[in-house]
Amino acid sequence: MHATRLTLVTATLISAVIFLGMTIDSLRQMRTRTHADQISQEVIAGKRLWQHYDCNDCHTILGIGGYYAPDVTKSYSIRGEAWLRQFLKDPARIYPAGRQMPNFHLEDSQVGALVVYLRWVSEIDTNGWPPDPQGMARQEPVGHRIFLAQHCNTCHAIGGTGGTLAPDLTHIGSQKDKDWILAQINNPRSHKLDSIMPSFAQLPETDKQGLADYLVSLK
Amino acid sequence: MADELDTDIYSVRLARFQLWILLTAGVTAIVGYLFHWSFGMPFLEQPIIIKLVIVIAALIFLYNIAMTMFTNHHTLTRTTATLMGGMVMLSVMFLFGIPFVPNLSTQYYWWWWVIHLWVEGAWELIAASLVAWSLIKLTGVSRKTVEGWVFAEVALVLLTGIIGTGHHYYWIGTPHYWLVWGAIFSAAEPIPIVMMLVDAVRDLLKARTLPIVNTLGLAWLGASAFVHFMGAGVWGFGQTLPQINRWTHGTQITASHGHFAFWGAYGMLAIALMYAILPEISGRKPNGKQALSFAAFMSLNFSMIFMVMALLIAGIVQVYLQRVMGMDFLEVQSHLRIWFEVRLVAGCLFTVGCGLLLWDLFRLAARQPAAAVAGEPVPVPAI
Repeated sequence: MHATRLTLVTATLISAVIFLGMTIDSLRQMRTRTHADQISQEVIAGKRLWQHYDCNDCHTILGIGGYYAPDVTKSYSIRGEAWLRQFLKDPARIYPAGRQMPNFHLEDSQVGALVVYLRWVSEIDTNGWPPDPQGMARQEPVGHRIFLAQHCNTCHAIGGTGGTLAPDLTHIGSQKDKDWILAQINNPRSHKLDSIMPSFAQLPETDKQGLADYLVSLK
Repeated sequence: MADELDTDIYSVRLARFQLWILLTAGVTAIVGYLFHWSFGMPFLEQPIIIKLVIVIAALIFLYNIAMTMFTNHHTLTRTTATLMGGMVMLSVMFLFGIPFVPNLSTQYYWWWWVIHLWVEGAWELIAASLVAWSLIKLTGVSRKTVEGWVFAEVALVLLTGIIGTGHHYYWIGTPHYWLVWGAIFSAAEPIPIVMMLVDAVRDLLKARTLPIVNTLGLAWLGASAFVHFMGAGVWGFGQTLPQINRWTHGTQITASHGHFAFWGAYGMLAIALMYAILPEISGRKPNGKQALSFAAFMSLNFSMIFMVMALLIAGIVQVYLQRVMGMDFLEVQSHLRIWFEVRLVAGCLFTVGCGLLLWDLFRLAARQPAAAVAGEPVPVPAI
C-alpha cells in the first residue's frame, strides 16, 4: 500500500511539473497564435466593454459562456465590419424579429472598439474551431446561404419555412426581376416609403448579386 | 474538521466573523448582478473588490482550520489531510481568476485554472474527504475500510485532472498538442470516479448488515456517488475527445453534462451532509417521519433527469443542425424550443422539490421540544 501510494504521489507531482512546463510553452506560443502584438489600446477597450456589458452572459466566445446567443468568435469574418457596426448600434434595425439583443445605446467610439476587438478575436488560431459545416450548406446556392446568414428568414418565408412579418418569397422570381430585387436590397424604401425592412446596402456587391440571383431563380 | 479531530474549532469567533464577511460578499455580489455590476467573466462575475473580500474570508478560514489541525495533529486522519489539501488548492486556484488580462485567450487559459482545477481537482478532494467522513459517520463501517482508497483516489484525481485541464485547451488559441494530452488524461478522469463509486457501494453494502442510523443521509450519499459517476464520468467522457468535442463544444450538450455532474458530485453531496449533521444539532432522531424527505428526494432527482435529458436532446439536435448542416444559430434555437419547454417544466418541478427539501430540512433542524425528550440526555451539538 505504501509503495502504491508513493508511486501515485510521485506520478501526480510529475504530472503537475509537466503541466507547468506545458503552460510556459503554451503562453509563449499563444503570443503568435493570438497575434498578441496586435492587441492595441482599442482592442483592450473593446474587451473591457465586452466584460462591462457582460456579453458573455448570453453569448459564447471561443465556445465559452452563455448558450443563449450566437458564438461571436468568428462573427467579424462571417458578418463583416459594416454589418457589425449597424447591429451593435441598433440590433432591432438589422434583426427585427425573434430573440433580440438589447440595445445598449453604445457611443460610436464604443461600437468601434468592440468591432476592433471582435476583428482581433476572429484572427485567433483556434485549431479549426468551429468546424465547417458538412451538410446542405455546402451544396446550397450561395444566395441561399446569404439569405440565411443575413437572417432574411426571420421575416420572409421560402417554401413554408421562415417568418411571416414580411411577404412570402417562394415565387418571388416570377413576380419581380433581378433589378427590382437589387433595388429592394439596397434601399427598401425605394419601393415602399414606409417599409420596415432594413437596408442591406452595406453587403459586398458579390453577396448582393448572389442573393438576387438566388431570389430571381425562385419561380 | 473539528468532528474528525474530535476537538473544537480553534476560534469560533473567527469562524463567525468569516461567515459574516463571506455572506456579505456573496449577497452583495448577487444583488450587484441585478444592477449589472459584473467582472464579465462567466462564473467569476464578482467584481475584483468582492473577489478580494472572498480571498480574505478564505485566508481566515484556512488559518482557523489549519490551527485546529496543527494543535491536534496527533489525531490527524487521511480524511482531514485530504480535506486540508483540497481547501488549500481551492484557495490558491481562485487567485488566477482575479486579474483582468488583455489577451482573451490567456484570460481563459487562467480562468480554467479556477473552473477546471476547482471542479476536477480541489472540489473532488474535498468531496472525497466529506464522503469518507459521512460514510464513517452514517454506516458504522470501519475507518480502515472507508479510508483505504482515499489517498489512491486523490492521487488519481490529481494525476488525471491536472493535465486533463487540456480538454479545455483544444479551441481557445492554445497549441495543438493539447488535443493529444488533454484527450488522453481527461479520458482517464473517470477512473478515480469509478473507484469512488465502487468504494461507496462497498461501504453501503457492508452497512446493510449494521443497524442503519440515518437512512436519508445514506440515500443521498449513494445517489450522489451514482450520479457523480453518470454526470461527470459518463456524460463528461462522452464529449471529452477532441474528435467529438470539436462538434459539441459550446452547445446544449455541455449544459446537460454540467447539470448532471454538478447535481451528482456536489449538489447531492451537500444535501447528504445536511442530513448527516442536522439530527445531531437538533437532537431529533434521523429516522423519524420520512414521507416528506423521500418526496423531496424523488421530485428533485426525477426532475433533474428530465432536465438533463431535455438538454441532451436539444444539444444533439443543435449539433446536427448548426454544426453539421450549417443552419444559423437562431434558426436552430427555434427548432429546440420544445426541449427548452420540457426543461422549463422539469425546472419548475425541481423548484417544488427544493421547497419540499427546505421544509424537510427546517423540520429536522428544529430542536426537539424539551417535553418529548424528557428522561433522555439532550445531545450536545458536536459541530
